Amino acid sequence: MRVSTQGAYLSGLTMMQRLQTALDFTQRQISSGRRVLTPSDDPIAASRALEIRESIGRLEQFDRNSNIATNRLAQEESSLNSVNNVLQRVRELALQANNGSQSDETRKLIAVEIREQLDQLVQLANQKDGNGSYLFSGNLEDTLPVTRAGSSFVYNGDQGQRYIQIGEGRQVPDGDPGSAVFFTNRQGNGTFVAVPSPVNTGSGVLGAGSLVDPAVWDQGRYSVRFLDQDNYQVRNSASVLVASGAFEPGDTIAFQGIEISIDGQPEGGDQFNFAASGLQSVFESVDQIATALEQNVGDDVARAELNNQVNFGLLNVDQAIGNILDVRTQIGSRLSAIEEQVDSNGSFALSYQETLASIEDLDYAEALSRLSLEATTLEAAQQSFIRTQSLSLFNYL
Amino acid sequence: MAGLLNTSLTGMLAFQKALDITGHNIANANTPGYSRQVANFTARPGTGSGNGYIGAGTQIASIERMYDAMQTEQLRTSTTGYSRLNTLSNLSGRVDILLADADTGLNSSLQSYFNSMQDLANDPSSIPTRQALLGEADGLASRFQALDGRLSELEAEVNNRIELSVNDINRLASSIADVNQKIALTNGSGAQPNDLLDERDSLVMQLSAQVSVATTLQDDGTMNVFIGSGQSLVLGADARQLGVAGSEFDRTRMTVTYLGAAGNTPIDTSSTGGNLGGLLEYRSRILDPTRQSLGQTAIAFAASINEQHSVGMDLRGNLGGDLFSVSPPTILTSSNNLGSGTAAASISDLGELTGADYVLDFDGSNYSLSRADTGANIALSGSGTALDPLVGDGISIVVGGVPAAGDQMLIRSAHDAAGSIRSIVTDPQSIALAAPTRSSASLGNTGNANVSAAIITDPADPGLLTSSLIEFTSPTTYSINGAGTFTFTDGAPIVVNGSSFTINGAPAVGDRFTVEANFGASGDNANGLLMADIQSVGVLDGGAISINENYGRLVSNVGSTTHQIQSNLDAQGVVLQNAEDAVLSTSAVNLDEEAANLIRFQQAYQAVAQVVSVASTLFDSLLNATRR
Repeated sequence: MRVSTQGAYLSGLTMMQRLQTALDFTQRQISSGRRVLTPSDDPIAASRALEIRESIGRLEQFDRNSNIATNRLAQEESSLNSVNNVLQRVRELALQANNGSQSDETRKLIAVEIREQLDQLVQLANQKDGNGSYLFSGNLEDTLPVTRAGSSFVYNGDQGQRYIQIGEGRQVPDGDPGSAVFFTNRQGNGTFVAVPSPVNTGSGVLGAGSLVDPAVWDQGRYSVRFLDQDNYQVRNSASVLVASGAFEPGDTIAFQGIEISIDGQPEGGDQFNFAASGLQSVFESVDQIATALEQNVGDDVARAELNNQVNFGLLNVDQAIGNILDVRTQIGSRLSAIEEQVDSNGSFALSYQETLASIEDLDYAEALSRLSLEATTLEAAQQSFIRTQSLSLFNYL
Repeated sequence: MAGLLNTSLTGMLAFQKALDITGHNIANANTPGYSRQVANFTARPGTGSGNGYIGAGTQIASIERMYDAMQTEQLRTSTTGYSRLNTLSNLSGRVDILLADADTGLNSSLQSYFNSMQDLANDPSSIPTRQALLGEADGLASRFQALDGRLSELEAEVNNRIELSVNDINRLASSIADVNQKIALTNGSGAQPNDLLDERDSLVMQLSAQVSVATTLQDDGTMNVFIGSGQSLVLGADARQLGVAGSEFDRTRMTVTYLGAAGNTPIDTSSTGGNLGGLLEYRSRILDPTRQSLGQTAIAFAASINEQHSVGMDLRGNLGGDLFSVSPPTILTSSNNLGSGTAAASISDLGELTGADYVLDFDGSNYSLSRADTGANIALSGSGTALDPLVGDGISIVVGGVPAAGDQMLIRSAHDAAGSIRSIVTDPQSIALAAPTRSSASLGNTGNANVSAAIITDPADPGLLTSSLIEFTSPTTYSINGAGTFTFTDGAPIVVNGSSFTINGAPAVGDRFTVEANFGASGDNANGLLMADIQSVGVLDGGAISINENYGRLVSNVGSTTHQIQSNLDAQGVVLQNAEDAVLSTSAVNLDEEAANLIRFQQAYQAVAQVVSVASTLFDSLLNATRR
């Protein structure tokens, strides 16, 4: 083919420009460390990378969330640990006060300490977190959770629980409302309560009682009435006779799937009333113990009344301790769930990072050898251009 | 001897001319579009003598222009193709980089917004965290606006470039007509006006870079030039003009018109080609869909956030309002309309929203809707009144005024949305993160039942914030606010005043459950969690595509279109190069060849001069012989 001077010049130039473009692209890849510089270099990889970045961003956020949830649950756990210590101390004091060797004075001293513990309990329930929000008022963060009017305690928070997103579709509560922690303890042994009538004249002291047959226990109201020291009848709320029997001190009376022991000697006409356990706050339980201990004990009847009240209080405190334990167990399982989720988030993030690297990152070995090849080619093109351009017949004219 | 002198004289003249031509070629070695010229020598016929014919020297019969019409035609076609792809590639590359760049793209802003939402869900009562979310909301809105603003600048640039291109075409058309006229004047002289032909070819080549060109040569040497789908641009010495005018619907959107005998008519832009075609194609193939898709993303984001926000309660105890505002679909009436019809459109179904532009036609009694880009017909339901709007593709349209038959309106469902999105809440307390109602079990309950959190089923229920009391009248029945007897099923939803909740377990007689307004719940994040979740929830395409995915789809669409254009450009570059090589090979000057010619003609001239010297010697010999 005939070659024109202009054509030879242009094709040499075009070739060098093309090589320079390629060299520039490789150079930019190397200096940025990325294989894909603009989406059009690899549209599929680019949109995949966007998705992966979003996923990684979300996982990082979940880790931050998990941290927050862990901190809050740890704080709640440490508060509840203090609550437990207080309740254990109350329990010890109540057991000590229930001892027959105590005088009115020593019991009152114990009552003073129990009231101090009660104050601390209220203080713990009204604790604030680092942000100045109440720990145990549910979602009403600015509302003082527990207020006290004499011997009644009111919960002012709500029963809401805040959830924290710790993973894709995975949420855990970062706390528990005060209602669930302090106010919803079952009274008595958790199934039923047994209360002596205030007009009893005997010295009958009730034991803890227990549920024997849940299928029979119908949560109704019953009363055990002593006809005389040795016989009793059990009637339901409609005064229908349910059971009856002979009694000796220390005997266990059983009816309707429950049983309870009675120590001491009830007199004829004494009555013990039974009902399904209602809910009571731990504060009221502790307060009731203190109130009972503040009474003077003059005779055996009064002592039986004291024993009955302290025993009932102890049952209530035990329920509260059990409840705190339940809440703490839940906190523990939430914490371990968070830990698991953080681990799984971490391994997901790692695999996303790897995928992202394989999509976007440059294979340096390949790029560097490409660069040197391109540079060599360009150099050769430049040299041959100079050589061919300098060839001209005019040089010899 | 006189014959010999004359003969050598013709040679000297011819070789002088040939040297002139060689000089002309050498001088134009670098002139673009120059076709080298070659002197064609022929022997001058001799006069008869008794024993035959003796030639009378040489002459240059013609100066030939080395030129191949087919090759030039091919170069023109490939120039048109290359120039179209080059324009497309340059401009689409800019959109491509704009969308994916971490500093200008949408992803990083979306991610920060939703991260901030999560942070706020973790700590809903914190005013600084609320303020941070408002900051992120502003940042995201301005990112949308900035992207849309950049696209709208590109649109303005396209308008300018169309005007420049049309000016170029008009200028070239006039020049070609001028050259045609000059060529026609030389017609009849028998010789070709080589340099004028080169000039005309070069003008037509420039024209072919702007628009696709077809040419026909006339008998008088003039060339007729047709562009696009056959509009005549140059007829002999007569040049027609193109114009630029706002489109029928949008006066700011430039379209190309043809000023023909029938007046000013819009030109069919589908086969325009060249730089002009590339500009028009870039606008319809890249800019329009990008703005539409970005707008669609903006609408999807604003609408889903607003929808969720409106079912939450803020720190003041009010239900949430809109967090973002975004403009409704734009309605543009055709400048050709005869009636006074109006329309107002709104998005009725996000899941069906395409973001496309639509044309609403009125045929005298009925309305019909079609896509502006594909022309596909869209089924409409409804009558167009406020109570029963026309609904199609997720848009509901209320029409008014008195339209005339044949009137048209353009409905841009999402074109302007991204530029209009604003974060409209400035008070951090107004962010509604809490659920509007809360449920609680009475602390005096003796049963074992608990109550779930309340879910809002009807945020518009007038009694939503009124307290309701569920009281169990037996383990299996309950009353609401002291009235009625309802059968209790463990775990079945109970709906009261727009709130739904379940009671689980075994309630006892007298157990009470309350649902009430969630006032004061500064620590509640129930609605905040749902708002944060919008990031991963599908809202578009019938709920299959999330906001982020929609943007990812836009990036990959623009990326793959750009990628395809670039590889086509590379291929077309090779085609152009080959066509150019072919033309250059035939027509361009080779300096070595000219140097050789120079030597050749110089030697020939010297040889002929030598003949004159011989003739002179001969004459001298004769004179000397006759002097005696």
